[in-house]
Amino acid sequence: MSLIALDRVAVRVAVDGRPAPKTLLAELTLRLTEQRIGIIGANGSGKSTLLRLLNGLVLPSSGTVTVDKWDTARSVREVRRRVGFVFTDPLSQLVMPTGREDVELSLRRSVRNARERSRQAESTLDRFGLLPLADQSIYELSGGERQLLALAAVLAVDPEVLVLDEPSTLLDLRNRELLRRTLAGLSQQVILSTHDLELALDLDRVLVVDAGAVVFDGGPADAVAHYRALCAAGLPATGAAADAARPVLPVLPVLPVLESPQRAPRPGQP
Amino acid sequence: MSGHGFLLANYVPGSSLLHRAPLWLKFLLVVGCGMASFLIVDWAAAAAALAVMCSLFLLSGAGVSRLFRAVRPVLPVLAAIGLLQWWQLGGPTAARIVLNVLVCIVAASVLTATTAVQRLLDGVASLAKPFQRFGADPERFALTIAIMLRSIPFIAGAYSDVRDSARARGLERNPRALILPVFITTVAFARQTGDALAARGLGEADTEEHAPPTAPAAGYAVP
Repeated sequence: MSLIALDRVAVRVAVDGRPAPKTLLAELTLRLTEQRIGIIGANGSGKSTLLRLLNGLVLPSSGTVTVDKWDTARSVREVRRRVGFVFTDPLSQLVMPTGREDVELSLRRSVRNARERSRQAESTLDRFGLLPLADQSIYELSGGERQLLALAAVLAVDPEVLVLDEPSTLLDLRNRELLRRTLAGLSQQVILSTHDLELALDLDRVLVVDAGAVVFDGGPADAVAHYRALCAAGLPATGAAADAARPVLPVLPVLPVLESPQRAPRPGQP
Repeated sequence: MSGHGFLLANYVPGSSLLHRAPLWLKFLLVVGCGMASFLIVDWAAAAAALAVMCSLFLLSGAGVSRLFRAVRPVLPVLAAIGLLQWWQLGGPTAARIVLNVLVCIVAASVLTATTAVQRLLDGVASLAKPFQRFGADPERFALTIAIMLRSIPFIAGAYSDVRDSARARGLERNPRALILPVFITTVAFARQTGDALAARGLGEADTEEHAPPTAPAAGYAVP
């Protein structure tokens, strides 16, 4: 198994109109050694940035990310050979019109012989039960089939680590379960971000990310409990607490506009 | 995405003579048709060439509906060109120009309908091999063709989606409501495709520095 290490890594981006850069990920040091690792957190908390660091899609502003001693900033080819990446939306990942062609595309670099490439693509598709759909347009596949195909296309080149960015977000319950079982059966190290807390509970180690910082790192049950508490603390008050708070809320100035049946036309509009 | 118009016909698996024909011969057919479109000056000859190309397409077993789907997206443009040329240069010249364009489209469709994309990419990579001595990567040439083939239906589909949503909001006559979202969607698609290719290690140079880490990387990049 590959050893992924983040050493004092931070990611910052310049934002127009702001003197100081915005911190997407505050400085962190991690060693990712477990077989199944999850990252949970709210939207925009920095989960995807953290995952993208692992195969060089995002480079650190400071610090280093290494995969088996290969620096993601210097040896991106070696890193990507070891670390496969699956995106949330498989349609943004599948490049070719059919599944067979997409898996063959993945193999182009490593398998030069066309016949052997075709044989290996069939074998990969068969492993995921996708062979009957191999020549169908990717647009005709269901969301679950597409996600499995994206997974197959990445696993065709046999990476040592599989990174998945919210792989179950666009899937229904049945396909989510199918994906969960598929991931559980993989020999690769799996690192994923997810909003599916059931999936997170299956993992060996879970990191909770909040506002660009890892705020919890430990077992899945404790991590999910921590995340739930974090979410509850950030929610607006409801029930009796909300009733108590209501008198202090300012009167919304937009209310008269909302109640008005017709809005005045803007200049230049009919 | 609801619409996936495609200018050229998708590959249709089969074992016809055209499927078995060598790739170079099919390339030659497309190049020949492209050159002939400059040389043919008689509309009747252009019509005969189109009939031959359509027959070849149908011989491949791809079917009439696929043939129609391959040329349908370009028909409005051809109609506009034809009308303009008819007004400027007369009926026979307008017919010749329109028919010659159709000959090229059907010839290209014969190639794509009877050649698997991977075989097409292998062919492009082989053709680009002589440029390797100048530092070019043949695989990148092939990948460029693959991305182009993928992007055409996506952009057509994006336009169809944007048009539907503009209609739903009563903005179908507003060109800004049509063009701007398609432009933004296309740029986002290009970025996503770049990310997807980079994540899979496709299109990267064969040589790179493999030094072990000695110092923190300077700067950052957010794709």
